[in-house]
Amino acid sequence: MQRLELPRFEFIGRFARNRGALIGALLILVVALMALLGPLFFPVDPLRIVGQPELWPGEDPDFPLGTDSLGRDMLSMIVHGARATLLIGLFASAVATVIGVGVGATAGYFGGWIDEIAMRAAELFQTIPNLIFVLTIVVILGSTLTNIVIAIGVVSWTPIARMTRAEFLSLRDREFVQACRAMGMGDLKIIVTEILPNALPPVIVLSSLVVAGAILFESAVSFLGLGDPNVASWGRLVGDGRLLIRSSWYICAIPGVAIMITVLCLNLIGDGLNDALNPKLRDR
Amino acid sequence: MAGELASSTASPRITRGSSRRVAALRLLRRRLIQAVPLMLGVVVINFVLIQLAPGSFLELMTAENQVSDPATIALLRKTYGLDDPVWLQLLKYIWALMRFDFGFSYRQNIPVIDAISVHLPATLLLMISSITLALAVGIAAGVVASMKVRTVWDTLVSVVAMFFFAAPGFWLGIMLIVLFSVKLGWLPVGGMATIGGASSGFAAVLDILHHLLLPTLALGLFYAAVYTRVMRSSMLEVAQLDFVRTARAKGLSRNRVTISHVLRNALLPVVTILGVQMGTVLAGSVVIESVFSWPGVGSLLFDSVSSRNYPVVLGIMVLGSLMVIAANIAVDLVYMWLDPRIEIR
Repeated sequence: MQRLELPRFEFIGRFARNRGALIGALLILVVALMALLGPLFFPVDPLRIVGQPELWPGEDPDFPLGTDSLGRDMLSMIVHGARATLLIGLFASAVATVIGVGVGATAGYFGGWIDEIAMRAAELFQTIPNLIFVLTIVVILGSTLTNIVIAIGVVSWTPIARMTRAEFLSLRDREFVQACRAMGMGDLKIIVTEILPNALPPVIVLSSLVVAGAILFESAVSFLGLGDPNVASWGRLVGDGRLLIRSSWYICAIPGVAIMITVLCLNLIGDGLNDALNPKLRDR
Repeated sequence: MAGELASSTASPRITRGSSRRVAALRLLRRRLIQAVPLMLGVVVINFVLIQLAPGSFLELMTAENQVSDPATIALLRKTYGLDDPVWLQLLKYIWALMRFDFGFSYRQNIPVIDAISVHLPATLLLMISSITLALAVGIAAGVVASMKVRTVWDTLVSVVAMFFFAAPGFWLGIMLIVLFSVKLGWLPVGGMATIGGASSGFAAVLDILHHLLLPTLALGLFYAAVYTRVMRSSMLEVAQLDFVRTARAKGLSRNRVTISHVLRNALLPVVTILGVQMGTVLAGSVVIESVFSWPGVGSLLFDSVSSRNYPVVLGIMVLGSLMVIAANIAVDLVYMWLDPRIEIR
């Protein structure tokens, strides 16, 4: 297999020179650690009532981020919510990437009417207003975590498919691919083992942005009260605090800040990866 | 400017004007033909979703209205064609939609299309005002950032845009309510008009605008951030093209070149994004409407989703897609008008 990518250390060096991307990556690491190790520091069920209700942040040192309307620890809920939010974002992005790469690779490699149909399908999925589509799927099939993840994946795959298709179009007639064909290698094997590895870097960048988008989708679905009732994601925390904005607006504000920082960092990472992959475009 | 470039090579103005109109009509016809399979696709997806639903409409309706008489249920099955083969059901469904028959909202006891059209103006108002805000702010900020590239202003614009790009709209809306309605008391918390306020005339318009401001900010600032980023990079890209250098060499000032030459050409990517995102603006208004109790299609969708009123939910999805297709055609025409060199396939 031939690889057309740049040397790895050069890539990392370029990424690290982008200050925004570096900060983003470090903060995401913190959020990820929080999601992984959170339960060790906050072993109590975050939905258990532990203190007085509606304690403002800083009012009681036991609860640095305060308590919600029922007296549940905000910090513990944020830490546990990180796990739900990140996992949903990652899985939804994985679903979108699998569909998008599958469709895009087939379309770009075979071309012709297969390409035509695949691109019409992509157009179709872009036409249906995305969140309305997600809500419709979730309300018809039920508000389970799996359905939400699939629904978000189903509305997010089109940019990945377009990107993969473009990469395949530019790679499919290169010499190394022609050599494989001449050797009698099958189409599937060429797609998976020869072209795909070379087409992946820009696709991965896009996937990281899809994670950010998926987190926003999930938070909106949960905020509207259609999330999985067993999962306390950040979006649901904002929705829960919504009725208390007159007395305790921090209950809404804190999980929202968590969503914003996470999405912001993912976007910064995506930008950084993009710049590192296409140094020519850095100033744009 | 692109027009000037083209006029030096193209035939005289009069014929060019009429040929452009012909081209626009041809484009319109082609787009309308392309829209047919797209719409069919939306309908089929809808139909598949109906088929996937656990339990039929009928079970839901009968449960809703507490009907248990087998004869009535059999009659309803016949009325809704549930005993037909699936392909016939699909054909009937398509035929019904072609006559704008989206079924019946058994909750409000009116046809779905009526339920939606009552709520549509409010949503359109919110969408238009948000897009206008986003375009105005985004283009202005993008131009400023590109003219002061790599200065404090550029950084400031980029950082602010990054934040609005990452903030969930519903959360931004709530924070705006906390600040401007709860703390400062300047603007209303929600709704579209003051209850018992003026119902007509200038005062009523002013009242609606007063209610419109916060939802517009909550929905529009995200897109303002998008347009800022696109506009900045597009301005920088166009500024490097040859015709800009020619204009500068002619002795035009830098500002003059930027405003009358770079700006118009740099707008093209913004128009493209605007077309692509029409659906997401509509979808975004669903959440924003729910935050601000704005009486639009979003609120209707939210109510229908909560009460599992499938016909309305599916009707909104079909009509929403139709709106997106129409908006995209409009965007293509605008695109053509902005840049006569472009032949849209």
